[in-house]
Amino acid sequence: MTDCTRRTFGCLLGASCVAALGSRTARSQAKARVVVVGGGVGGATAAKYLALSANTLEVTLIEPKPQYTTCFFSNLYLAGMRSLASLTHGYEPLARRYGIRIVQESVATIDPAAKTVGLESGAKLDYDRLIVAPGIAFKFDAIEGYDEAAAQILPHAWVAGPQTQLLREQLEAMEDGGVFVLTAPPNPFRCPPGPYERACLIAAYFKQFKPRSKILILDAKDSFFEQDLFQDAWERHFPDMIEWLPAQFTGGIKAVDVKTRSIRTEAGNFVAAVANVIPPQVAGRLAQKGGLVDASGWCPVDPLTFESKQQPGIHVIGDAALAGEMPKSAFAANSQAKMCAFAVAALLTGSEEQSSHLFNTCFTFLAPDDAVSDAISFKPGGGTIKMGNILLSQVGESVQTRREAVRAANGWYDAFTHDVFG
Amino acid sequence: MSAGVPVLSADRSQAAQPDRGAELAAVCASCHRLDGHDQGIPSIIGFDEATLVAKMVAFKSDERSSQIMRVMSLSLSAEDLTAVAHYLAGQHKDTNPR
Repeated sequence: MTDCTRRTFGCLLGASCVAALGSRTARSQAKARVVVVGGGVGGATAAKYLALSANTLEVTLIEPKPQYTTCFFSNLYLAGMRSLASLTHGYEPLARRYGIRIVQESVATIDPAAKTVGLESGAKLDYDRLIVAPGIAFKFDAIEGYDEAAAQILPHAWVAGPQTQLLREQLEAMEDGGVFVLTAPPNPFRCPPGPYERACLIAAYFKQFKPRSKILILDAKDSFFEQDLFQDAWERHFPDMIEWLPAQFTGGIKAVDVKTRSIRTEAGNFVAAVANVIPPQVAGRLAQKGGLVDASGWCPVDPLTFESKQQPGIHVIGDAALAGEMPKSAFAANSQAKMCAFAVAALLTGSEEQSSHLFNTCFTFLAPDDAVSDAISFKPGGGTIKMGNILLSQVGESVQTRREAVRAANGWYDAFTHDVFG
Repeated sequence: MSAGVPVLSADRSQAAQPDRGAELAAVCASCHRLDGHDQGIPSIIGFDEATLVAKMVAFKSDERSSQIMRVMSLSLSAEDLTAVAHYLAGQHKDTNPR
């Protein structure tokens, strides 16, 4: 328990705050340098909380794109319920409010021995600690015929932005009565309820504008997260519109054919009017390049500091990390980023590291006026991260409860993106 | 530096212990705006320490229903709860939100 008399918080006026921070004496003349690579939820959160943790750190965030579009809530965009602009966030507040140096470039190389990051432009940045948040990459060789070019016809829309826009355009252009085929990936993948929420919200769009259309989910798995909630919602809101075929029925997704817009499974061929192929996933390319992945394709990390087990001095957070029982979600990335930022700040300033908390909460839309939530706490222990308490929404909750969750979900998006990018 | 963010101002240059309440408030900030401008999510700004502790204890004992808050409250020790409530009670609604 910390000593109450030592707390010196609540500086609300910009001037007094800056003065308070500036009055601290540096531990050494040179500031410790932390470089964060990747401006998604994990990277942006880590950069912000590092900058807030100690004024003796120089924090740099490297991200090639000028803005980030969130994958979470992008299913609402697909259903015509939100604009893409409302899901897009810039980095200017992080630079202005917290003094984070934003470098809009791609990373070409990581040299763990020299502790440098090489940029595409040829410039090199030195670091004392490196935090990598590379997100996911797709295993394009896993489904025959599905590569980056094929994704321009059969979008994955699992990294938000142009891909999401493309899928929305195809759904809008689709004639009433068409079949929308969604392939759901094997575990582990980004956002476990995501594919099934997508089916719900596209069904809501069809119900209003293209009521004779159908949705077919070809799953690489035999079960999925919160399956009872989804199947209950499909029956209640969209009877006879959504069909889910598990791997045991189809034998799995084998190939795609761009010309005929068809998906081949072991059991047969499914022709789509619009197809959304969400491929199997691994850690983002930078993780592969930096020697941070193991045979699983993901990055093993220390459960307390998120320091790579393969490259000392480099921390990996977010979807790319092997974080025990934590799901790959934006909320988990944000939670891990804070824990990692505090650990790195403690390491570099010599202050005491304290036990922290890891959480995941998730709001999921089953229909425009029907949302559910779940909450899970996690504890590091035994070299991994284990689930603590878990509470999930249940089938049969009142209409009122579900409507309140819709309101909470929208409020959460605002608060969460403010926490990450604001 | 804008208001509504947990300023982790323990003097780390002296290798001091970071402020527990501020680090815990960072967890709250994943869902609640610390500038007090929440929409759709109940605000946690503008309450005194005792009120905040009482609310969290009620979530722990399931007298207030919110499964998210129940999971959060169950993970906090009595010391953590006091530390985060103390920190939050010192925050004020930002008159100039983003």
